[in-house]
Amino acid sequence: MSISASIGRRHRGSRRGMKRSTRETLFFYVCISPWIIGFVVFTAVPMFSSLYLSFTDWDSFQKPNWVGLGNYAKALTADPLFWKVLRNTFYYAIVSVPVSLLIALYLSNLLSHDFRGKRIYRTIIYLPSLVPLVAAGLIFKWLLKPEDGPVNALLGLFGIKGPAWLLDANWVIPAIILLSIWQVGGGTILLISAINGVPKELYEAAEIDGAGHYRLFWSITFPMITPILFFNLVTGIIGAFQVFDQVYILTQGGPDNASQMMVPYIYTSAFKDFHMGYASALAWILFVIIMVISAAVLKSSDAWVFYESEVKK
Amino acid sequence: MNTRSDFGGKARRYAILTVVSAILCAPLVFVVSIALSSDATTKAMKFTFLPGEWHWENFIQVFSSGLPIGRFILNSLIIVIPACIFMTFSSALVAYGFARLHAPGKNILFILVLSTMMIPGQVLMIPQFILFRTLGWINTLLPMIVPNLFANAYNVFLMRQFITRIPTELDEAAEIDGLGYFRIFTRIILPMMVPVLAAVCVFTFSSNWGSFFGPLLYINDEDKMPLALGLQVLSSQSSSVQTPPWNMIMVGALILILPVLIVYYFAQRYLYESGMFAGSAGIK
Repeated sequence: MSISASIGRRHRGSRRGMKRSTRETLFFYVCISPWIIGFVVFTAVPMFSSLYLSFTDWDSFQKPNWVGLGNYAKALTADPLFWKVLRNTFYYAIVSVPVSLLIALYLSNLLSHDFRGKRIYRTIIYLPSLVPLVAAGLIFKWLLKPEDGPVNALLGLFGIKGPAWLLDANWVIPAIILLSIWQVGGGTILLISAINGVPKELYEAAEIDGAGHYRLFWSITFPMITPILFFNLVTGIIGAFQVFDQVYILTQGGPDNASQMMVPYIYTSAFKDFHMGYASALAWILFVIIMVISAAVLKSSDAWVFYESEVKK
Repeated sequence: MNTRSDFGGKARRYAILTVVSAILCAPLVFVVSIALSSDATTKAMKFTFLPGEWHWENFIQVFSSGLPIGRFILNSLIIVIPACIFMTFSSALVAYGFARLHAPGKNILFILVLSTMMIPGQVLMIPQFILFRTLGWINTLLPMIVPNLFANAYNVFLMRQFITRIPTELDEAAEIDGLGYFRIFTRIILPMMVPVLAAVCVFTFSSNWGSFFGPLLYINDEDKMPLALGLQVLSSQSSSVQTPPWNMIMVGALILILPVLIVYYFAQRYLYESGMFAGSAGIK
């Protein structure tokens, strides 16, 4: 702390007749009060209520009855739809996240070089990721029409008979994955700025040593951007497990629950069937799954994520 | 890098990027094509992939067609405008507290802020619904407006990181001049936070402008729906006798898309300066 600052503090402290630290503490709590109010009302209290509700059988109108672990037991042992929904959600997350990430990595590598028209390509690739999901859903519903949709018309040009997409139990999840891949631009932009942040000297040194494009990518770019790849992987998985808008707009979970996923299922249980207790238990199961997967990815990261600070040590 | 072998690589890069851009652009071209189609084309459902007709008047007709799209837009604005203003400034104030002031309990509270970022909204949604139902807010826009008035954890984190990069000498000089904490915040810190204020404002705008889940949960009447929900409802009202007015719905979809694109276009400089893209590297 500089001398002038401490003089200033003493001066002001005596003027108002209140100790500086008390005033500072008071003002700190005034500052953060918007967060505290929001946290208590919209996060902390709802979180505990939801945990309580998950142990009850409640239709949201009568008094809730305590059923202990009944809801959890029902989900894990007596509700075949739960396992189907869980399998669908895993399928969606495990395919869409790595595929999107690989495409984003490939595109960002192409786009990080300097060349004429770079900005236009970047803009076009980024555009779809800014389209609100509702609009994207409406668009894809059109594109994927089985009979006269443009996607199947295009496939027809190559002599391929396209599937019924949203109406076909085997193709409905790939169709939802296509929508997530369409919005690959957001991740691509993050990776471009990560690649541009890699010190240029590293490349120059390697080029003098005669390293080719592939070598430069795998020996320098890839290890240097693994922290951001990793960040995208974790946030991508968390986001994929919480998918709602796309499913609701494209299929409402159909056909025959073939594309029903965790959050739309929680929504249906709570607000269509009014099984609030069961839906709360489902939400907590989802929460635990997300935490476990994030922790597993975090743990495995030691093996493959390279942090620059490790070198500096 | 201008060697002969590089030329092949360049041509291939252009080829790949052109194909990828074309594929990614195609859905948007199709939307524009439907939005510019005449009512007759819409009734017959004979849309072409590339725009074949240019009925720009659709963009005016959408407000006089009897569809409540103008009302949807107004409802979206009623949600978004207070959210942008209050979210940005309340988050800035909270971030200032965490970045600059010392108080007992601060570190524990900041850890609490960070950990709330991991709680999925689904865990909170049922009790929140009950809360708003008890308050009599069902079928009003309040459940979409009120939670956005209070600072959210992600924005606080982003802004705090930004403030810690502002030199403390400025605050100290202002303190010698006799400024209190609040005036240091409004006169010194806030003007320097413009990039991150703009970034948070843009996020708040784009996430609320297109938001679907909240309105789906709370709104029943068509004249209270924001644009995203309204369009979805209009588009799913198809029956055997009447097809939805797809050209008008796609005009609506473009009205949903365009403000987000425009806002991002004009704010991109601020988004980079706010450290949002570099910030993710900081989470290790």
